[in-house]
Amino acid sequence: MQIAVLSGKGGTGKTLLSVNLSYLADNATYVDCDVEEPNGLLYYKLKEKQTEDVKIKIPVINHEECIGCEKCTNFCKFNALAYILDKVRVFKDLCHSCGGCKLVCPTGAISEVDKVVGYVHSGSMFDTKIYSGEMIVGVESGVPIIDNLLKKVEDSDRLVFVDSPPGNGCSVMESIKDADYCLLIAEPTIFGLHNLNMVYKLAKVFDKKIGLVINKYTDNNMINNYAKENNIKIVGTIPMDLELGKLNSEGEIVASNSKYKPIFNDILKTIKKELVL
Amino acid sequence: MPLFKKIGGKIMIIALPTKTSGEKSFISEQFGRCNFFYIYDTETETGEVYINANKDGQGGVGVKSSEFILKKGANILIAPRVGEKSMRILKSTDLKIYKSTDKIVKENIASFLNGELKEL
Repeated sequence: MQIAVLSGKGGTGKTLLSVNLSYLADNATYVDCDVEEPNGLLYYKLKEKQTEDVKIKIPVINHEECIGCEKCTNFCKFNALAYILDKVRVFKDLCHSCGGCKLVCPTGAISEVDKVVGYVHSGSMFDTKIYSGEMIVGVESGVPIIDNLLKKVEDSDRLVFVDSPPGNGCSVMESIKDADYCLLIAEPTIFGLHNLNMVYKLAKVFDKKIGLVINKYTDNNMINNYAKENNIKIVGTIPMDLELGKLNSEGEIVASNSKYKPIFNDILKTIKKELVL
Repeated sequence: MPLFKKIGGKIMIIALPTKTSGEKSFISEQFGRCNFFYIYDTETETGEVYINANKDGQGGVGVKSSEFILKKGANILIAPRVGEKSMRILKSTDLKIYKSTDKIVKENIASFLNGELKEL
């Protein structure tokens, strides 16, 4: 069972929510798919972790065998190949590793090599299994890393919490495509509402079951109104609390504090009810 | 009467990214995503206009635009600025890039031939 935690806007509490829920749930798995700026490991301070490379395939051209037919440069939809000064040049950053250039080459002048684009760290703490992706600075897409992360948990019989990247781009779609439940989190600001609308539409496109958590909850009810209009189930709220914010910013799992444990426990219970667990 | 002089008898093919078509167009601020390319030949003293077919591509348009002007045999590019990838390609060839002024194509070519433009 996979629960994807997502929000349109960054800094609304995706990591706060997914870390604390996976901490409270029995035998859960936490997957940090925000590979551009992973911070789940700031909370789950792993003493021991395994790290493996994530590799993608990049074409290399054998210029001796290349006849300059330009089939590959015309085929590439990502403009990663260009025919410059009678030579095919590869732009690694633009390549999406589709392998099409190799297929269309009539002389077999194209072969593929591995390129490391990031890492997957894994370990466990308490009774939680933890996976965290990390993208190498300068790489243009984190999608292969997210793909690799989710392969590790696809057959898991545990409750999996996926900490998605912010926004509604490719990497978010990748991280929610196998999810059984989309847990949206938003804060009651105009910006927060605008971006909630964005991810809500995305989750709708994917036809997912949706729940909403309001973070930094005050008496401002713009998010509540939005939820009512669109028939979104509010599964819980996290209050605007400076002490909670402070503990969280110091890298502590706030649900380990008895004062805040009930907030997250309630959310977890409601989600479990929604999913009929 | 020829519009522009040749300098030192060397043939030059000058490429310019433009907003509209023709020699009276303004220079486009974007190299990869400009609307048209104006390619001027100093030998025949004529210019040709090409539609930039890659303009609306989702990525790597600079790569394709660089490929295009190099295929047209350009050895001079007059543009306000050039993106990172295009710069990498163009710097690896004999092509030289000059910074355009805010005037129209015709005047930019004239300024270049008079040696008034700075190399980027």
